Amino acid sequence: MMDRLSIVQKTVVSIFLAGMMLLVVVPLLFFSTVAFSNATEMSEFPKNLFPSFNVTVLVEAADDGQYEIFYDSGEGYESIITTGKADKLEKHFRRQYSVTVSGEQLLEDFARTQTEGPQEFTYKKDVFYNFKQFFNIVPNAASALKNSIIVSLLTILISLSIGSLAGYAMARFSFKGKSQFNVAMLIVRMFPVVGISIPMAVMLIKMGLYDTLLGLALLYSVPNIALTAWITNSIFIGINQELEEASMVFGAGRFQTFMRVTLPLAFPALAASSMYSFLTAWNDTISALILTNENQTLALVVYKAIGTTSSGIQYAAAGSIVLILPALVFTFIIRKYIGQMWGGVEL
Amino acid sequence: MSKAPGNIVSAEVTPRKSSFKKYIPFLLLAPVFVYYAVFWLWPVLSGVKEVFTDLNGNFTLTGNFELMAESDLFGEAVFNTAAFAVVSVILQYLIALVLAVLLSRKFKGAKLMMFVAMIPMAITPTATAILWKTGLVRDGWINTILMNLNLIESPLVFMDASGFNAVLMIIMIDTWTVTPSVMIILVAGLQGMQRELKEAAYTFGANKWQIFKDITLPILKPSITTSIIMRLIAAIQVWAIAVMVMGYSKVPFLVERVAFYVDVVPGVDTSSKLAFTYSFLTTVVVLLATVLYLRVSRQGDKRGGEKT
Repeated sequence: MMDRLSIVQKTVVSIFLAGMMLLVVVPLLFFSTVAFSNATEMSEFPKNLFPSFNVTVLVEAADDGQYEIFYDSGEGYESIITTGKADKLEKHFRRQYSVTVSGEQLLEDFARTQTEGPQEFTYKKDVFYNFKQFFNIVPNAASALKNSIIVSLLTILISLSIGSLAGYAMARFSFKGKSQFNVAMLIVRMFPVVGISIPMAVMLIKMGLYDTLLGLALLYSVPNIALTAWITNSIFIGINQELEEASMVFGAGRFQTFMRVTLPLAFPALAASSMYSFLTAWNDTISALILTNENQTLALVVYKAIGTTSSGIQYAAAGSIVLILPALVFTFIIRKYIGQMWGGVEL
Repeated sequence: MSKAPGNIVSAEVTPRKSSFKKYIPFLLLAPVFVYYAVFWLWPVLSGVKEVFTDLNGNFTLTGNFELMAESDLFGEAVFNTAAFAVVSVILQYLIALVLAVLLSRKFKGAKLMMFVAMIPMAITPTATAILWKTGLVRDGWINTILMNLNLIESPLVFMDASGFNAVLMIIMIDTWTVTPSVMIILVAGLQGMQRELKEAAYTFGANKWQIFKDITLPILKPSITTSIIMRLIAAIQVWAIAVMVMGYSKVPFLVERVAFYVDVVPGVDTSSKLAFTYSFLTTVVVLLATVLYLRVSRQGDKRGGEKT
């Protein structure tokens, strides 16, 4: 169809598509620039739109073995700090420029300026400085990362074990009330999580599971069991029943058949529905807000970091890059199945 | 095990098995029933109970709803949620539809573009909020771009937006994140379409617009209607971006109020009642949308059935 378009139409379409792509790519690009920016770059305006990996300063020797540091933030070199102390220099370079070089090393480098006059020095930025800072500043970030992983795994375990049994039953057996069961599962899946989060908190307190990872996983599993049942149902329908029957003719029991024949065939799709469960648990904030106190998840910690570290939004940005990466990878692995759920689209 | 004994065993066992077989599906479904009775039905019922009892535990039919209606920002929350749901769904659909139609053509780079277009939907909502916050602040990257392009003289202030403007801003951010998933559903619908239909229409002299209006849209209709309702259900529950970009009480939404009463003013008796009542209201609205969804998808099934 494309070749039937006139030149004008082609141009309009290309411009539109290019614009759309820019709208997607540009925010992502600048966001990652923020995540890799040092404090000085963050205070500049207009900002750099691409991440920089080096910091250049001009150093002039001052009296008493001190050095005056100049920095160029777009409008020529400005005097920033004058000092001769190694620890002060080290701190300044680390905090302002994300350069982690020892103060002694800096003094040694700058010594040249006493004989040769003012000079420019270029240092490599510590690229992951903001990431390290995120885990330093936010006290429970590291344990939150661990919590997020554990909660996600627990959610997968619960929804897969309970959901796939139901999915298998719905695919292989006909029983009374099957269509009502289907509708009920749909309602559970659509039911807003906020609606059950607060009473669930009350219940978990009674059960002694409030503020535990298991309690959180129990809540995340509610929509995911129904979703897993729905996905696995269509998968088991798709698996040739004759294979199962053949296996049973050769003397394998139903359980053995399930383990040896059905499960391996269904494995890729089971993996996909596990990733769905993972994503719900990984991406959620509101339920974690309601159901936890100490044992926070990474998404919640990052959410809270926006409020508390307004002076260093680049650290929160770095934290959210950590948050994005697994979600990004899993979404792209299961993208085939997102389409399949809506009727076999190829992506 | 050799074949012969196996056959004999199964032949012997068959009658007993078939009576046992009736119970297998219920055995397999039992865990789901137990789980949902404990972790879904019980919370739902106790939530409903909270909504219809007052602070002293006495039954009240409308007391908590009156409390909610009189609470701060209730009107704004209802209006904003409705405005958000309607405007965002329409906007996202128009963009997704155009993108789906263009990207499902076969041309060089279509796959790569599809890949790029899908990235926003993979990003965790919390991260999306930070992404846009770094752009919307006064010295953020949006102002930087506008300045570099010489479109503005001095930086614009986005964060002071209030009322409908603020809702529009949240809609823009939501559109950026959600449009890809809508697009995928529509692409799926389009790939099911037979090329021959289009080609035939083309040979008979139909123009592009007629083909789109009379062939593409009707074919997409089932996937459009079902996914519009799915989107509505998600849109009604918006809160995270609003709170994370603007802060609490700046752009009130229904679920934003729930989070507000849980997160900001916990411990006060009325605030937990208000949280329960707001989440009840949200749930009722979502369930209405779900009923609508079931109606529509049933109709779709019937129509599909009639065709064959």
